[in-house]
Amino acid sequence: MSKRTEALVLLLAGGVGSRLNLLVHSRAKPAVPFAGLYRIIDFSLSNVMNSNLTKVGVLTQYKPLSLMRHLGTGEAWDFIGRSRGIKVLPPRTGFQDSDWYKGTADAVRLNIDFVESNQCDEVVILSGDHIYHMDIETMIAYHRSKKADLTVAMMVVKRSEIHQFGAGIVDEEDRIVDWEEKPKEPRTNLASMGIYVFNRKYLLDVLREDKSEIDFGMHILPKAIDNGNVFAFPFYGYWRDVGTIQAYWEANMDVIKKGSGISPEEWGIRTNIETEGRVADRSPARFGKTANLKCSMISSGCDIKGTVINSILSPGVVVEEGAFVKDSILFTDCQVEKNAVVDLAIFDKGVHVGRNAVVGTGNNHEIPNEKEPSHLYTGITLVGKGAEVPPGQLIGRNCIIHPKTREDAYPGREVDDGASI
Amino acid sequence: MKPATLAMILAGGRVDELNVLTYYRPKSAVPFGGFGRVIDFALSNLMNSGIERIAILSQYRSFSLINHIGNGAAWDMIGRYRGISILPPYIGSEGAEWYRGNADAVYKNLDFIRYHRPEEILILSGDHIYKMDYRDMISYHHEKNADVTMAFIRVPNEKTHRFGVAALDDEDERGGRILNYWEKPQEPQSEWVSLTVFCFKPEVLFDALEMNQRDVSHEFGRDIIPQLMRGNYNLYGYKFHGYWGYTRTVEEYWQSNMDLLGDNPPVDMEKWGLRTNLEHRDIRDCQPVLFGDDVKVQNSLVYNGCKIEGVVKNSILFPGVHVGKGTVIDQCVVFFNNVVGENCRLTKVVTDVNCNYGNGVVVGAEDDSVNDLVTVIGWANSIPEKTRIGKGCTVYPHLMANQWPSVVESGEVLR
Repeated sequence: MSKRTEALVLLLAGGVGSRLNLLVHSRAKPAVPFAGLYRIIDFSLSNVMNSNLTKVGVLTQYKPLSLMRHLGTGEAWDFIGRSRGIKVLPPRTGFQDSDWYKGTADAVRLNIDFVESNQCDEVVILSGDHIYHMDIETMIAYHRSKKADLTVAMMVVKRSEIHQFGAGIVDEEDRIVDWEEKPKEPRTNLASMGIYVFNRKYLLDVLREDKSEIDFGMHILPKAIDNGNVFAFPFYGYWRDVGTIQAYWEANMDVIKKGSGISPEEWGIRTNIETEGRVADRSPARFGKTANLKCSMISSGCDIKGTVINSILSPGVVVEEGAFVKDSILFTDCQVEKNAVVDLAIFDKGVHVGRNAVVGTGNNHEIPNEKEPSHLYTGITLVGKGAEVPPGQLIGRNCIIHPKTREDAYPGREVDDGASI
Repeated sequence: MKPATLAMILAGGRVDELNVLTYYRPKSAVPFGGFGRVIDFALSNLMNSGIERIAILSQYRSFSLINHIGNGAAWDMIGRYRGISILPPYIGSEGAEWYRGNADAVYKNLDFIRYHRPEEILILSGDHIYKMDYRDMISYHHEKNADVTMAFIRVPNEKTHRFGVAALDDEDERGGRILNYWEKPQEPQSEWVSLTVFCFKPEVLFDALEMNQRDVSHEFGRDIIPQLMRGNYNLYGYKFHGYWGYTRTVEEYWQSNMDLLGDNPPVDMEKWGLRTNLEHRDIRDCQPVLFGDDVKVQNSLVYNGCKIEGVVKNSILFPGVHVGKGTVIDQCVVFFNNVVGENCRLTKVVTDVNCNYGNGVVVGAEDDSVNDLVTVIGWANSIPEKTRIGKGCTVYPHLMANQWPSVVESGEVLR
């Protein structure tokens, strides 16, 4: 691809992702840590980098600071040099249109000046909150070969799940002839991945038409299909929208599982190592004489003297002698003291579990969380950033322990299943 | 702000006793600590001491070192008055010459030093493992109005004959005037040994190097310091306390690595503020260590990118090491990207980068008997299945497939 005709990338990273509960308490969904070392947005960014695309606008909105620190100068994904770069595009005021982004198309519309100021033939629009591996260069080549105005990446999905997606009906040439947004009774099994390649001029025209069209899937796409130049780009492979706690947990566990189809290293996923802003680099993970490991992923800087089974540990996690961690995901610098147990839990950064405490006690996985039953109902307990679990404390299933919770906040020795502190 | 201190690192060269580990790299670029290189200690010390204008004098196989330094950004030495410059030997108008000693190396780069007009010049070796804030030594140097200040550490008497030794006037705990200095004395008369860290007043350095050019030997320890002792200069010794890893042999190198393990290791890399270049060999692109379902890992350091399916004990694994099912790695230092097949047994081995071990290979002791000699395997070797290599062996880098016998006897050298 010559420089002049290189596609411009717009990465939508403004979403709240509220069903991720505490994990998006202080950060946008794309900035949520994943698989120990990474953040969710690393997958989209690395796919863009590995597809030789070098100009990216990242549209932020909800709690963007963690994300902005993670993006840094863009150097981590090779967006460095005269003609390459990542630009963060938050909502902003101006002469005319100025407001919060109301939807995916609205966000892009409010950044028309960014699109206009970049010489490109195509604009690639994708979100930053999916886990997948795609060569976007191939999709752009496909788009050009079909002479499409708009190409939508689509994947085959179980009929029982189509209601979560935009669904497309295609003809023999893969032209999209009909569209249904989140259909209750699907007529197809092709789901939209929310990845679009637009011809630049077509995008600008379409956005200028009707300002009330704020969503690509709901408004722009159905209308575009009537023109007849919208094509589906078939995608095969691992793809996950880690929008719920259960989906997030499962995707992480897939990274440990053999043959699951996901491998960050093989996919060329890169993260920003400077995000933490530490003086010293994290040294190799240290395993003591009493360490006991099985089917787990352990990051640099961890200090393991206890047992870790089927879990993912971010850098700097300490598991003391006699402690037991299973089926869990622990973010950076968590500490699990002697003989404590952590079972089926997700810990945000810096959680401290005192001696002999148990997070995830009992077998009542089906009692959903009282305050947020739609978020936690499969047994996973969530502990927020910097929270303390006092020595000897018992915490049940589907519990939510808010960030910075201290010992005096606990009502008693036992926290019932489904409780929130 | 223009820095007052210019640091010059002596990158070192080939060390015979480290044989194959310095076959393709200078000693300072030898991997250490499970993810970095020996020179990271000197560089991190300088970074943490706020000294950010550095020259590295290197002439032996600099490629690995040049890759490791990169543009200096890894240690924040990038920007207006910051930077790491690698200074190799060059062809001048009067001809070409290699560096004839570390003092000659500095002499040949006097124009670099003069260009930066430093207030003091810190000259240090790049191949030792230690933590030091040089600012304290430089303050001491200024307080005493010293012409040269050298750092010393106490070392047990049996070992001092390998180093430069000084008798210090016992003024205080920080240091004292150097009363006498001997280079590698047969019968040492003091326990204070030189760390090869010198702080010079620029004019003193220039004069000493100029005078030394008439000599036939050009080493700081052997020639410059004794020369200055004979003149009327103020030479002071700064007392250093703390761990100091000086590794000259494969056995010592292995032991320094083992010193990183255990409950209270004397080297704490994170506390020391150690940084490496994570771009070198792309170790920043590694995912966290992946452990399989039938593994055992004890008393070991394992960095990202490793995939463990077997047993790892008392060992240090650098990024990207694969350990197959049924394999036991014990008391080993395994460099970057080694792939060890299934049912292998490696005991007390240092294996250089990019080696491949076929299934069933046994290196070192075959059982739990006392194993006192380290076997070292040079880089990029593909060891055929079921090969047996004994204890204390040396295997040179990159052997051809047909060069491998089925048994390499203990103590043998294979090249």
